[in-house]
Amino acid sequence: METTHGDHHAGGPDAGLPAIQQVVSVLWPSFLTAGIATIVTFTVFDPLQIAQCMGEPGLTRLGAYSTGFFVFWLFAAASSGLTCYFRRPTDRIRG
Amino acid sequence: MAEPAQKDAVVEEIYKKHEKIYPREVHGFFAHMRLLAMTVLLGLYYGVPWLQWDGRQAVLFDLPHRKFYIFDWVFWPQDFFYLALLLMIAAFALFFFTTLAGRLWCGYACPQTVWTELFMWIEHRIEGDRPQQIKLDKSPWNARKIRIKATKHAIWFLLALWTGFTFVGYFTPIRELWHDVLAFNLSGWETFWILFYGFATWGNAGFMREQVCIYMCPYARFQAAMFDRDTLVISYDAKRGEPRGSRKRGVDPRELGLGDCIDCTLCVQVCPTGIDIRNGLQYQCIGCAACIDVCNEVMEKMGYPKGLIRYTTENQMEGKPTHILRPRIVIYGLLLLLFTSATLYGIATRTPLELDIIRDRNTLYRETDEGLVENVYQLKIVNMDEKPHRYRLSIRGLPGMVLDADPNPVEVPAGSVQEETVRVRVDPVELKRASNEIYFIIEAEDDPKLRREEKARFLGPVL
Ligand code: SF4
Ligand code: SF4
Repeated sequence: METTHGDHHAGGPDAGLPAIQQVVSVLWPSFLTAGIATIVTFTVFDPLQIAQCMGEPGLTRLGAYSTGFFVFWLFAAASSGLTCYFRRPTDRIRG
Repeated sequence: MAEPAQKDAVVEEIYKKHEKIYPREVHGFFAHMRLLAMTVLLGLYYGVPWLQWDGRQAVLFDLPHRKFYIFDWVFWPQDFFYLALLLMIAAFALFFFTTLAGRLWCGYACPQTVWTELFMWIEHRIEGDRPQQIKLDKSPWNARKIRIKATKHAIWFLLALWTGFTFVGYFTPIRELWHDVLAFNLSGWETFWILFYGFATWGNAGFMREQVCIYMCPYARFQAAMFDRDTLVISYDAKRGEPRGSRKRGVDPRELGLGDCIDCTLCVQVCPTGIDIRNGLQYQCIGCAACIDVCNEVMEKMGYPKGLIRYTTENQMEGKPTHILRPRIVIYGLLLLLFTSATLYGIATRTPLELDIIRDRNTLYRETDEGLVENVYQLKIVNMDEKPHRYRLSIRGLPGMVLDADPNPVEVPAGSVQEETVRVRVDPVELKRASNEIYFIIEAEDDPKLRREEKARFLGPVL
């Protein structure tokens, strides 16, 4: 897919994507991953115990679940974003 | 589906700027089936959290207390295994039905489709059918357009909020949540999730629609891998339809050298993903069967037999026999059956009792004044039953072991966890090794079937 596309656009595989779709393609898969990670982590560990270890004893469980979810989302998005970034051809980064 | 030409089309499709699709409303057999599925599924979604069972909410994923209630069943984090099994069942059910009949899930049951249908149904009531909608969007902004658009969005907005509220109601008791809403007393996170889910509903069903299926859905990407030549798919009978062309009613198409397709493009107009099914099976097709209904209507008006577009298989289209029972189907089916019965059996025979043993971390062992070796353990007794029990603790494994537990038996209230520190002492002459296996046993006094036996290590000096 990349090769056929690269012929039309000098900018590399992602250059033709509208900005909004690039953002969605990073945020959406990380959202799914974060959801799964949240479920698995918090069935094994009690969020309250984690919150206590991190010195946040005032947190409610719902707050802990939500915060956990967003932290996972952030990490997953960072990873997806880096993948997108590194997939750009080097000449484009130089130029 | 993977011919180079197709691939190029896919690439272009992905990078093309999006144009709004105005699906025309359809009536017919499959439209009725979709409406039925939509009513049942939405009814369940909005209705189930209000059901009561045994004085509590019948279905509640109680995150704050880490317990899941599904009617008579209560699941604990310890039951994570069943969640994994459930996911496997869902996956194999999806494989099974996709291989059998294509994208049934997409067309009838996917929340994306169901809410999109609901939002479109409202849009059709307020803005009119496809031609009126196109005209309205092209017209300049005036009082009438503002009024119509504002009405639509107000209704969408309320519906989306109610959807978000219902969603949160699966995680916090919905009746209390409703009181909190009325009293403006929602917690920060509850408000946040109601708005978040509501916004997602409004965006996905109101605006993103088919783009979710085309760009965002992981299932849509890999479903083609489960298709084979015997999978039921929606296709256009090109042999019968081509060459297409318009004609007057009552004229024999054979005389004009035409096929049965009158090229009215209605099948394209009703398609929620905006494709032309006459170009063959495409990955954007969600299998909603809207094009079947509308084309059948056309065929009926023209006095031709129905089914120019229909559910069929690749083999059937080519005049070859179709096999329903084929290795894939049998394997998926058997696995599905296996996982389902394993889950049901497991849940039915589950012991609602759990015993966790943690060795005291500070000291490996201690010698008492009497010259005995002592180990300290932290026991966690989880009573998952809906009533309290008294559990008797005992040990076995080494001769002459003494268990020092107070209290014993232990009273554990319904659905809760009790921790207890116990000491085990033994005469060092009995220790053959530095590390020995012992077993803790707990048994409910009122029900000998409620029994657990867990292994632990007893450490000591080697003499
Ligand atoms: S091609 Fe037909 S079945 Fe497929 S999405 Fe369009 S209307 Fe629905
Ligand atoms: S609805 Fe039927 S007759 Fe009309 S264009 Fe489509 S295939 Fe042809």
